[in-house]
Amino acid sequence: MSESETENNMRNLLFAHHLENAFESLLSHRLRTLLTVLGVTIGVASVTAILSLTEGATKLVQDQVDQLSGNVGVIRSGAEITNEAESLTRTQTNYATATLTEDDLAALEELPHLEAIAPLMNIRTTLKSNDPGSTSKSHLVVGTTPDLAKINNLTLGSGQFMDEISNANAAVLGEQLSVDLFGTEQSIGKTFTIRDQTFTVIGVLNMTNQPVNFSSIDFDNSALISLESAKSFTQNIAQIQQINLRADSPSNITPMMQAAEEALLTTHKGERDFTVLASDAIAEPTSQLFRTLAALSTIIAGISLVVGGIGIMNIMLVSVAERTREIGIRKSVGASNRHIIWQYIIESLAISITGGVLGYLLGLFAAFLLGMVLPFTPQLSFEVAGIALGLALLTGVIFGLYPAIKAARKDPIMSLRQTH
Amino acid sequence: MAQTKNNTVIQLKDLKKRFGIGDAEHYALRGIDLTIKKGEFVAIMGPSGCGKTTLLNILGLLDRASDGEYLLDGRSVEDLSSHKQAAIRSKNIGIIFQNFNLVPRMSVIENVALPLTYKGMSKTKRLTRASEVLKAFHLSEREYYMPWQLSGGQTQRVAIARALVNEPSIILADEPTGNLDSKASHIIMEELSDLHAQGNTIIMVTHNPNLTAYASRVIHMADGRIESDTSQHKAPSAPVYGRPLGGKKPKADEETEDSSAPTTQPTDAVLESTKSIQPVRRSMAKTRVRVKKVKIKNVRKRDRK
Ligand SMILES: Nc1ncnc2c1ncn2[C@@H]1O[C@H](COP(=O)(O)OP(=O)(O)OP(=O)(O)O)[C@@H](O)[C@H]1O
Ligand SMILES: [Mg+2]
Repeated sequence: MSESETENNMRNLLFAHHLENAFESLLSHRLRTLLTVLGVTIGVASVTAILSLTEGATKLVQDQVDQLSGNVGVIRSGAEITNEAESLTRTQTNYATATLTEDDLAALEELPHLEAIAPLMNIRTTLKSNDPGSTSKSHLVVGTTPDLAKINNLTLGSGQFMDEISNANAAVLGEQLSVDLFGTEQSIGKTFTIRDQTFTVIGVLNMTNQPVNFSSIDFDNSALISLESAKSFTQNIAQIQQINLRADSPSNITPMMQAAEEALLTTHKGERDFTVLASDAIAEPTSQLFRTLAALSTIIAGISLVVGGIGIMNIMLVSVAERTREIGIRKSVGASNRHIIWQYIIESLAISITGGVLGYLLGLFAAFLLGMVLPFTPQLSFEVAGIALGLALLTGVIFGLYPAIKAARKDPIMSLRQTH
Repeated sequence: MAQTKNNTVIQLKDLKKRFGIGDAEHYALRGIDLTIKKGEFVAIMGPSGCGKTTLLNILGLLDRASDGEYLLDGRSVEDLSSHKQAAIRSKNIGIIFQNFNLVPRMSVIENVALPLTYKGMSKTKRLTRASEVLKAFHLSEREYYMPWQLSGGQTQRVAIARALVNEPSIILADEPTGNLDSKASHIIMEELSDLHAQGNTIIMVTHNPNLTAYASRVIHMADGRIESDTSQHKAPSAPVYGRPLGGKKPKADEETEDSSAPTTQPTDAVLESTKSIQPVRRSMAKTRVRVKKVKIKNVRKRDRK
């Protein structure tokens, strides 16, 4: 007992010695240490910024879902994305190959406990109005059904939402789109053209300020038309990217979505080329582009962290070479290989953890700056802090290990013979 | 000076050390057989390059022999893990290097305290202990100097203080007095004699024949071999100049620079003579004067030749 106790005690004392030693040696080369720490700081800062912004986006959608009292589910075209790499290759083809059809819609309308259902058929195209100030940039036109307003909590600033009997060429505009097209949000009765078809504005939505949401549609900048009208742009075949469903109560959403999945498996003849998401699951970053960007930036941030790690390794190798003689001396007065390894690992950890803490703070700062121009605010979370510091720690160990082993392997006599 | 004669600490059997390979191959040690018992004070002499430092490095577990066997406390060191070897270096061996080897970025006291780190001592204890040892070497005022601020002799004393700080039972000293004047040399030798008197084993390389008088045994090396060893009754003993023993000063006729000159002095006599150092030590000043005289005499004699 006392033996292991003294052993433990000895380890603590040695740790204190190594730590003190590390800071002494790092402080004796201030500039060099600062630059190395900076490398890690930048890497950790970018990871932190990206992760907290991603969390912010997820939180945003989560809040929407919570507002919808948890009884909404969605079905997306295409199989479930299981990894980020897949999402990279999928983005481009996404809109072209919508796998949901009107038959699916019909089948889903039969579901028990279904309160509302709305398809989303997205067409990106140019809208033109007669207003001289109108711009002709590309906008999103969404073919859908009257239920959408109910499921997505859309409210109207003026006019009315489309209903079963409204004109085939009626359109509801997002407030921003109305301003873009006609220079005013009071655009009821005005007309514009989509691919040479004329549409009349029957309603203008209230501003949602939710460019990121589970429908992947920025309603403020979109035109909503009936599914029938939308089909006329695609040879009368509905290409539905997503179907939003709402159950009559939150407790029924899960069984309902299960039933939906079974129904679709039947209509798709067993092929699972769609994704069923219920309540909380739809809060995941919805836009494929968003996911892709997040994945890409995380990879880039990871690379900058690797560069930071290489900086550590470089400086540790220099430090080991400079102190070859010291290593020989330490060994001759009783240091074992393990002691030497620990000495250098602790030194590289001192660099990487310092960089990690600074990087985390800098990353948060950057995220909040970005949050001012982005539609969502970054989240403060223990997870991101844990990941940032964990990555810093890992970098320190991984890139400090080789120099430390190199130091420990040095032959004491050869080290002592080295002259400076 | 209790001699536990049968207690063998170090045993070397046909020990060889080769440096380089192929054309550059070169033996620094060519077969050393040596047994050192606990409590011996061995002085090793020999011309430069004969392998003294190489031998000490192997004894101190800093280097490995290429051939032959090294038994430390009866155990072959080949069988010891590197971790175990480090533990032995930490607890039992103190090395004083020929070129001091202080850590340049550490102060004097930190250098002296360094070995205690690996014994797991707390910082305050380490510094207290180091301070004590430095005091014994009259270096108290230099505790917070950096190594480059010290004179050669002070550096050497710091190196010795560091080797002794963790009270090793085996002390390997490579010319511990190389940079010191005779006064300082004798202070160091007094310290080593004290340690010897406490029963520690001391192996010291020296070029100064005056200092072999402190040793209980003198070994002469030449070209990687042991040429003479006072404990084996066969070989010639060191020519002992300026022996600081008061009455036992050798006669001028016996003094010779040729180390191969035979001597009639048996081991016991040497031991006897070292014993008699003790009382003399207390009157160091006197001794020192004597040493100086003898030295001058020798120089004169050489000049005459
Ligand atoms: N690492 C090495 N590589 C090659 N040769 C070496 C090496 N170390 C020592 N030697 C050689 O071994 C021989 C013995 O060297 P060593 O340092 O033991 O001599 P020494 O007796 O201590 O000499 P000095 O009294 O000058 O200190 C020398 O010829 C030296 O050149
Ligand atoms: Mg030497």
